[in-house]
Amino acid sequence: MRNLRILCCAAGLAAAACAAAETVGHVKTVQGEVSVVSDSRTVAARPGTPLALGDTIRTGSTGTVGVTLKDNTMMSFGPSTRFTLEEFLFAPTKGDLLLGGSIAAGTLHYVSGAIAKLKPEAVKIKTPSGVIGVRGTRFVVVVEQQP
Amino acid sequence: MMQMTQMPRHHRLALALLAAALLAGCATRPSAPSAYVVLLEEANGSVGKVTYTGAQGTAELNQAREAVALRGPAVPFMLDAEQLRRDAGAAMAAQPIAPRTFVLYFDAGTAQITKASEALLPQILQEVRSRPTAELAIVGHTDTVGSAELNATLSLRRAEEVGQLLTEARAAAAAVDITSHGEQNLLVRTPDDTAEPRNRRVEVTVR
Repeated sequence: MRNLRILCCAAGLAAAACAAAETVGHVKTVQGEVSVVSDSRTVAARPGTPLALGDTIRTGSTGTVGVTLKDNTMMSFGPSTRFTLEEFLFAPTKGDLLLGGSIAAGTLHYVSGAIAKLKPEAVKIKTPSGVIGVRGTRFVVVVEQQP
Repeated sequence: MMQMTQMPRHHRLALALLAAALLAGCATRPSAPSAYVVLLEEANGSVGKVTYTGAQGTAELNQAREAVALRGPAVPFMLDAEQLRRDAGAAMAAQPIAPRTFVLYFDAGTAQITKASEALLPQILQEVRSRPTAELAIVGHTDTVGSAELNATLSLRRAEEVGQLLTEARAAAAAVDITSHGEQNLLVRTPDDTAEPRNRRVEVTVR
């Protein structure tokens, strides 16, 4: 993820595009124990907590959380979930559109935003055993708990 | 059996109901896999498409509640609504309030908002206030009349003008983002140098 950010800057894209890679969405709803884990630290999530590329969202055994990304994608998670936001590029005027994440455990409810509508093949969600491709839509994925 | 017939009628009924409940319990015991992806209908009623590629190939889902196991054959099945609620009810209930976008229009070649669009501004403030942590995104656009450079400037002026008109909403929002796309992001596709009122706009998203 950091590579992506560096690439983005190295490619000489507008500073705004790089800045956008910093905060790509926000936590909107929280119940129970939920944390956002980034490279260096772990914070307890609350409404308004920013999300950056590479962040992992973790929910406790009774925790749930809902986030909205800058392209209006909504993702909400059930208890005992681990989800990492791996890719996010939203620069419609340049055609730079990418959304990728991976769910290691738990439940994800996904409602597509602009990226999936503008460029469906740009959205990929990985599970421990495969990859979900999204064509502008809403879905749920339930992943078995890892031992 | 002897005892059964001697039972008061309502006891027998209770036993029968219990047996039926147990049987029903067995019958609806989830035969569906515990790990799956399922396609759902969107809020507007439309149903999109999802593909899942696992070790055993790719499955394509294109109707509501069509699902496929994450591990196993790439053969779709219909997921029971009750199982979906049980497995994902908590995640679905945590969905944020959907973002809402307002489109404000401008007079040709200027950053002067139209009267009709100005009348929408109070609704934007209301929308911001109705959300616990509202973000406000203000994005300016132009039509294709004039040079791309001039339109880049004009679209930013329009966005900034809306920013000025939304002082209260900005103050009430947790985050504000003002950007512009010049003539690069047309709402209605036109050739260059085409006057199109619907492209002379600022899109305000409250999320």
